[in-house]
Amino acid sequence: MALNPSEPKWSLRLPADCSIAAIRSVYELIREAFGRQERLEIDCSSVDKADVTSIQLLLSTAKTGEAQGRPVVLTSFSQSLRNTLRRAGFTSEAMIDQHFPQKKDGT
Amino acid sequence: MSAMDPTEVFRQEASELFEVLEGALLDLGQRPDDRELVDSAFRALHTIKGSGAMFGFDKVASFTHEFETAFDRVRKGEIKPTQELISVALAAKDYIRALIEDPQSTDDIIGEAILDDLKRFVSADRSDAPVVEIAEAASLAPAGSKQAGWHLYLEFESHILRNGSNPLDLLEDLCKLGPCFVVPVTDGVPFLDEMEPEDCYLKWDVKLHAACDKDAIDDVFMFVQDELKLTLSPLEHVEPPAPAPLFQLLDEEPGPMAETPVPPVELPAAPVADQPVAKSEPKSEPRPEPKPEAKREERGIATVRVQAERLDELMDRVGELVIAQARLTQLAASGSDLSIKMIAEEIERLASSLRDTTIGARMVPIGSLFGRFRRLVHDLSRDLSKPVEFVTTGEDTELDKTMIECLADPLVHLIRNAIDHGIEDTATRAANGKAEQGRIELAAVHSGAQVLVTVKDNGGGLNTARIRAKAEEQGLIAAGAVLTDHEIHQFLFHPGFSTAQTISALSGRGVGMDVVKRTIENMRGTIDLSTRPGQGTTVTLRLPLTLAIIEGLLIRVGEGRYIIPLSAVEECVELTAEDERSRGRNFLNVRGNLVPFLRLREIMSSSGSPDKHQKTIIISTGESRVGLVADQIIGNHQTVIKSLSKLHSDVTIFSGATILGDGTAALILDVAQLVSLAQSKVEKQHINEAA
Repeated sequence: MALNPSEPKWSLRLPADCSIAAIRSVYELIREAFGRQERLEIDCSSVDKADVTSIQLLLSTAKTGEAQGRPVVLTSFSQSLRNTLRRAGFTSEAMIDQHFPQKKDGT
Repeated sequence: MSAMDPTEVFRQEASELFEVLEGALLDLGQRPDDRELVDSAFRALHTIKGSGAMFGFDKVASFTHEFETAFDRVRKGEIKPTQELISVALAAKDYIRALIEDPQSTDDIIGEAILDDLKRFVSADRSDAPVVEIAEAASLAPAGSKQAGWHLYLEFESHILRNGSNPLDLLEDLCKLGPCFVVPVTDGVPFLDEMEPEDCYLKWDVKLHAACDKDAIDDVFMFVQDELKLTLSPLEHVEPPAPAPLFQLLDEEPGPMAETPVPPVELPAAPVADQPVAKSEPKSEPRPEPKPEAKREERGIATVRVQAERLDELMDRVGELVIAQARLTQLAASGSDLSIKMIAEEIERLASSLRDTTIGARMVPIGSLFGRFRRLVHDLSRDLSKPVEFVTTGEDTELDKTMIECLADPLVHLIRNAIDHGIEDTATRAANGKAEQGRIELAAVHSGAQVLVTVKDNGGGLNTARIRAKAEEQGLIAAGAVLTDHEIHQFLFHPGFSTAQTISALSGRGVGMDVVKRTIENMRGTIDLSTRPGQGTTVTLRLPLTLAIIEGLLIRVGEGRYIIPLSAVEECVELTAEDERSRGRNFLNVRGNLVPFLRLREIMSSSGSPDKHQKTIIISTGESRVGLVADQIIGNHQTVIKSLSKLHSDVTIFSGATILGDGTAALILDVAQLVSLAQSKVEKQHINEAA
């Protein structure tokens, strides 16, 4: 899990474990990052363990960003995260785009 | 108070689930058609898997998943659980337990071998159930005409993820029933500030394009039916959707997301509110709205998990309170202030009630212990090729948790002995006109302030002649000495005594029964044997309900005060002049029965002259009665037992000490030791008289 405040945007890399066992710490980190910058970029490339809680947290992050007018971009979905999304019914790229604001060059 | 390590919580929960699983598997061996047992085993497995994944025990989760999959044909009723299958399933359970409790000791190769065995047994039986398969195939076959599938709306209770259940696994199972189109409903996902990250907010709208039986859908959700609001309605004349169904996508190798077009999704504004259909009956009236809050509340107050050491701590505190209360009572009694006396009485009443409540909180049903032995009997029965029926009764009988822990080893030994030495082999049983299957009964029952635990077998009974011969051979008795059968049987409790002609891995070394006896006596209990040749042996353990606080009888001997556990006291009589005159013989005449007695003044080497009217307290352990002569009986005393220091470990006639109301200490007499002392004195007297 890493915050990188040196870049103009606030970038956050999610940890490998984003399952229910570790989701609260990920939640706290995202909330902390949310309070800092206008733009938040979340790197999902390291996510190795994901489940329903991970999907919900990302959905909530996107929803909160949109409501507050603060751009949130998700980048580099790991294969594990993609598999979990697919199992939850997010079966197409269009569907994922509809719910998760992805940065296309990062996917 | 520190919070408990979540992994430790999982280990404890898993430990309980293993007992449930093992019990269900063993019962299945006896009742292979009992669906409730299969469901019970599956519920335990499912929870272990889910919780294992949640707490980071990935190996546990994946192995259990494989186990579940292999055992699935049993759940579907396609195959019957054979003894071989049960044995492998038990081995699989042991492996999961090892993965949780001691992962270093496990080896993937062993795990794979167990799974291979499991799969082999499950698939080997495939040809045995063609009818069921056909029936199921028929139930899954497209109906063709009327019904094209099911429309499901899944709304899980918010806490479901915390229980270890995984909705994604359930969706995957659902997709195995047929082409499935799953749409997640994200409306319920809150803003970050309002979110509990471990709660479940996602819901799912599913169209299942398979004319499967509704029971097949119920099966998928059987373990979460209390935590799921499922709205189910039939799909009629609906073509399968254009996009690839989820179950096919899941079977693909991991790769870029399938670029399937998103079909127009009709997200229901309300969960299919226009056609709410009861989960169990598609065309029936809507079922009453469940009240999850009420259900949760009910669950919440049912039990609370408390660390055992906190209960010990609480018991210690109550013990201190009882001692302080005794001091207060004594102080109040010596003064004349009525209000202080009233307060002292009130505190005495409260302390007594608190003591009873605390002791009650430490009580554990003995069934938790009995369950462990079912596996022992199963394994020994298999290893020794002696079919044995194991019957337990009185599982609800409660005993202090410390007692339960102490009781495990002695019972293991007694049950092993019963199978190894008691139950005859099948040929002998058949020759004696007995049923081939032996029987071992383990029972517990309350008897006053004691619990009686019996281990009874219907084997050949004790060979009294052989025990006697062995005792003579070891020089424990003189050849030809007159002894009752009961006395001869007591040699079995002598260290190093064994009549077994061969030493096996189980028994025969003569180590054990003496340890069993010592352990039981350390618990202030007694052990007794009774046997009938050719019909079997019964071992009876008498145990106090608790080890922490007892009701005692406070007595004075010389200047010292002592406690006798009240549960052992039968009656108190005055030492008559006639009894006094019998000095040297030390027998009391109690209603025509001669009872040996011990003069505690002699044993305690008390100085000064004895009281004029001495009292005798008749105590008993099992069948033996002994009188203890004291100067004064002071009265009942709530006795908080304190251990003696190691310095006093060789003083066997005391089992502990307690603190009296005036702050002084009183020693607690070990009844079993005193009885044994009296008996040895009587024996010596007999020998002297004979000489």
